[in-house]
Amino acid sequence: MQKILVVDDEPLNINILIELLKPKYKMMAAKNGIQALKAARSSNKPDLILLDIMMPEMDGYEVCETLKADEATKDIPIIFVSAMNEDSDETKGLSLGAVDYITKPISPTILQARVQTHLALKQQAQEIKEAHELIKIQQLRMQDELNVARDIQLSMVPKTFPDFDAVDIFAVLEPAREIGGDLYDVFMIDDESLCMVVGDVSGKGAPAALFMAMAKTLIKSYASSDLSTASIVTRVNDELCLNNDESLFVTLFVSILNIYTGELRFTNAGHNYPYIIKEDKSLVTINQKHGPVVAAMDELIYKEDSVVLDKNDTLFLYTDGVTEAMNNDEELYSEKRLEKFLANSDVKDVKSTINNLMNDIKTYEDGNAQTDDITVLSCFYTGQNILATGDISIFNKLENIATVIDSFDNFCKTNNIDDSYNQKVNLSLDDLINNIISYGYKDENEHKIDIQFKLFDEKLMIIIEDDGIPFNPFNHDETDTFLSIEDREIGGLGIHLIKKLMSTCRYDRKANKNIVTLTINIK
Amino acid sequence: MQITQSQISDYKLLEFSGNLDTATSPAAEKEIIECIENGDLKFVFNFEQTKYMSSSGLRVLLSTAKKLKGKGELKISNLNSVIEEVFDVSGFSSILNVYKTQEEAIS
Repeated sequence: MQKILVVDDEPLNINILIELLKPKYKMMAAKNGIQALKAARSSNKPDLILLDIMMPEMDGYEVCETLKADEATKDIPIIFVSAMNEDSDETKGLSLGAVDYITKPISPTILQARVQTHLALKQQAQEIKEAHELIKIQQLRMQDELNVARDIQLSMVPKTFPDFDAVDIFAVLEPAREIGGDLYDVFMIDDESLCMVVGDVSGKGAPAALFMAMAKTLIKSYASSDLSTASIVTRVNDELCLNNDESLFVTLFVSILNIYTGELRFTNAGHNYPYIIKEDKSLVTINQKHGPVVAAMDELIYKEDSVVLDKNDTLFLYTDGVTEAMNNDEELYSEKRLEKFLANSDVKDVKSTINNLMNDIKTYEDGNAQTDDITVLSCFYTGQNILATGDISIFNKLENIATVIDSFDNFCKTNNIDDSYNQKVNLSLDDLINNIISYGYKDENEHKIDIQFKLFDEKLMIIIEDDGIPFNPFNHDETDTFLSIEDREIGGLGIHLIKKLMSTCRYDRKANKNIVTLTINIK
Repeated sequence: MQITQSQISDYKLLEFSGNLDTATSPAAEKEIIECIENGDLKFVFNFEQTKYMSSSGLRVLLSTAKKLKGKGELKISNLNSVIEEVFDVSGFSSILNVYKTQEEAIS
């Protein structure tokens, strides 16, 4: 039952009002302003106040003003009930925030009708206020969720890049205010294959960010066992087509650079064309297309192409957020402007170039809000010269290891490779090939083992390939080198030594072959 | 791989010439065992003429040290820098007695 407070210094007036309203409402009374304020501020506060004006000490106007100024009581509707029936009195009362003004003598039906109306209005106002607060909370929660999705998107892309003498890489993803679905990735697949990816998911918001995360994860996972960009994109497409109820899609440029030979294999699935900036600043547009956007149609076979990067070439990948950045006249940043920017930049310095480009776009936008994610990835290819190569193949007999060692000794002698590197590789060859011959074969047949030597400017690389059972020699527990002689088991030591003596050790299983790649940095 | 044997005071001196690896370790091990069976218990192995030693070679040294434990002595000398590094990363330098020169080992 709703509560009504009657304020009047005349007990008779109080009684009349209480009698009139008692059947439908719970009634409270106050004899003066002070009592009225106290009742209005109590935990049992009224839903409506009927307020007399002419009272000693504190009149009704003052009570009204005080209640309206107080956050806790300002929403209680006040109806003045007064004998003063001048228009000016009513105007003053209403201007102080009262909802109505009834003059004495009161008509019971009018009083009841007005009280009922104002209580209903108050109820509605309360409901609207609550709904409004709910919306505000939901809005905050949605903003939080967008921020979380944006954080996910940004945390998914790498901020540090493979550090090699042969390449210098930098990339930036600048999300629009609402999250979108741009992505990039840079990672080494094996010792010589550098994978660089840029993509743009259709749509915005959390679904696009999640789709982006899925696409990026799939690419990396497939690339770990597959050096064909066509095959990677084909598989990613089939996987993303499953359960794609939102009909999202992603444009992708997936490329794999052999950092030693400069060969760049790539697949462009509906993505804008990247550039190669030659040392003389001329631009080459990589304009081959290999299929539509990814996740639009399943069972497509994507193709790939390759191009060879010369020393000091720069590969420049980006998403259309760059060229479609808009100024206040709704003009696009455009490829023309991007090309001009690149032609005037020191593109060798990939980090400065990208940072300057982002600033140039911001300047161009001139305060106009960024509407799409902007992603830029640039790779300056210094290249490493292959100075010499050698190879030897043997059959799986332990006595043939000596032939490999002899061959490598000659390779080192011919190429003036320091003796200590020569010997470290010798012991690695001896241990690894011994392992292969002793444990790698389940039959008595002859098997060929191929060994390649490659000398680069600052690195020596050894590649051993065998067709034995799948076996990753580097996947074993470290030998405990602190055990005393009695406690130490004989075995496992060779791999431990190789891991310590070589700069990198890598194992791959490809086309039914074990491939071990060792590198040692040389001065 | 060639091993030259000689006797200097109490010690049986084995001078290794060539690398100690998969190909050469079995023969080297056989020769060392023969010496032990003939009653030699105090050894100096000189590796001045050895360029590298793979884990097969290390295994020979380890099994020799185990055989002599408690009743004899194994001293190693004249390691080149690569083998020294191998001894360090494998922990062998702390479990075998390694000397710079043959003279230091014997004195």
